[in-house]
Amino acid sequence: MNEKSHIVKSYEEQLLLLKDTIVKMGTKAEKQLELSIQAMVRKDLELAKKIITDDEQIDRYEFSIEEQVVNLIALRQPMAIDLRETVVALKISSDLERIGDLSKNIAKRIISIQEVISSELIKGLEIAGLKTVRQVNLVLNSYLHRDKDITENVWNSDEEIDQLTNSNMEMVLKKLETEKNQIQLTQLLFIAKNIERIGDHATNIAEQVYFLITGDYLEGQRPKG
Amino acid sequence: MKSKISAKGVNVYYGEKQALKNISIEIGEKEVTALIGPSGCGKSTFLRCLNRMNDVIDICRVEGSIKFDNLEINSKELDVVRLRENVGMVFQKPNPFPKTIYENIAYGPTIHGLVQSKQELDEIVETSLKKAALWNEVKDRLHEIGTGLSGGQQQRLCIARAISIKPEVILMDEPCSALDPIATAQIEELIDELKNEHTIVIVTHSMSQAARVSQKTGFFHLGNLIEFDSTEKIFKNPGNQQTQDYITGRFG
Ligand SMILES: Nc1ncnc2c1ncn2[C@@H]1O[C@H](COP(=O)(O)OP(=O)(O)OP(=O)(O)O)[C@@H](O)[C@H]1O
Ligand SMILES: [Mg+2]
Repeated sequence: MNEKSHIVKSYEEQLLLLKDTIVKMGTKAEKQLELSIQAMVRKDLELAKKIITDDEQIDRYEFSIEEQVVNLIALRQPMAIDLRETVVALKISSDLERIGDLSKNIAKRIISIQEVISSELIKGLEIAGLKTVRQVNLVLNSYLHRDKDITENVWNSDEEIDQLTNSNMEMVLKKLETEKNQIQLTQLLFIAKNIERIGDHATNIAEQVYFLITGDYLEGQRPKG
Repeated sequence: MKSKISAKGVNVYYGEKQALKNISIEIGEKEVTALIGPSGCGKSTFLRCLNRMNDVIDICRVEGSIKFDNLEINSKELDVVRLRENVGMVFQKPNPFPKTIYENIAYGPTIHGLVQSKQELDEIVETSLKKAALWNEVKDRLHEIGTGLSGGQQQRLCIARAISIKPEVILMDEPCSALDPIATAQIEELIDELKNEHTIVIVTHSMSQAARVSQKTGFFHLGNLIEFDSTEKIFKNPGNQQTQDYITGRFG
């Protein structure tokens, strides 16, 4: 729907600011995720440390969005599309915060892995990781451009990440039986699981964006998370 | 939901000018229906159709069918006094009679012959004022003049007067527009109460009030009923772009 502007300009500006903050927060979360995969592949500890310190920026965005949403509800009493815009922003921001947090957690685990890990395992995690980066990127685009088709695509592709995660975990578990660097391998299990959960958050966001655009809920069973 | 009033193809003209265009709407029994829309779109005109108040406007002409239960409101044979006994009205500006608080309420039941004794009348005055959440404020001054009350009290007095004759339907035209938030909340609470026994149609310019008090909402624009649906649907996800533009403040 191509919306007209509000008669009250300051209200229009507040809603645009909210949307803009979500996009900025999303862009940062996506970047953090992408870098955490990169840090893992290159075993780049400096980069991993930077991811950990940068996470605070995402928390600040979340706080700002919460504040904006509470103000909009208290002072503007948004209706219809504006109400959905406001409520959905709050939910998306909490999913983005989780994505940031899980990316930070990947970075922490990379730092604690000290030995060389078989490149085959890392490759599998990289594939799943890049797939989730793409999911997050797509869902943010669907939010920015109000594109219902993209949200549905994102929602439907979550299963692929689940499958990649399952096979990654199987690989790690097999290695665990024969190798002695068990603590390191366990870290990889957690990384695999983190990637899967990030995929779930992208799916949640897709559901929110779909509701934002249509006022309806996505049909059918959620892909197994 | 059983329908209490059913309008079909209603057109209203003031002289040459058409104020309502082919309006069809079902007003559910013991429900609150809110009518919203920009100034001049025909809300009050429609409300007045429901108790034949347009009769008193010389140049006004009403076409189409409006059924109250099975009674045709627009029929020439209709007993208008009986109709208005069953369809009460509360206006934007409180308009108590220049008489005592007691007499304001007692007038209706008396002329409609609803009471046999002074005691019965006292009871009706008390219960009507109680229902309108005014009793505690006026019980010691029932014989003071009604116009001496505050605006919010006067409005509740008018509501008490309207319900004193136990109409099945109550029409309210912007009943809270002159009231403070507390008096407004009291009237909204009263509307909630009243809908257990009455069918209510309320015109309001406050979107949040329409959302708070009603189960159904109709959006009028330029004499057309653009959208009529559950209040939840209208305020969460209206089906019509014009409705959305209006309720979100994007009109014009
Ligand atoms: N007595 C009248 N004589 C001539 N035209 C009238 C009369 N009453 C209303 N109208 C016209 O009919 C149209 C609808 O008026 P109405 O009062 O029903 O609007 P409304 O939706 O109640 O507006 P508001 O929100 O301002 O009360 C307007 O164009 C108005 O000018
Ligand atoms: Mg009016």
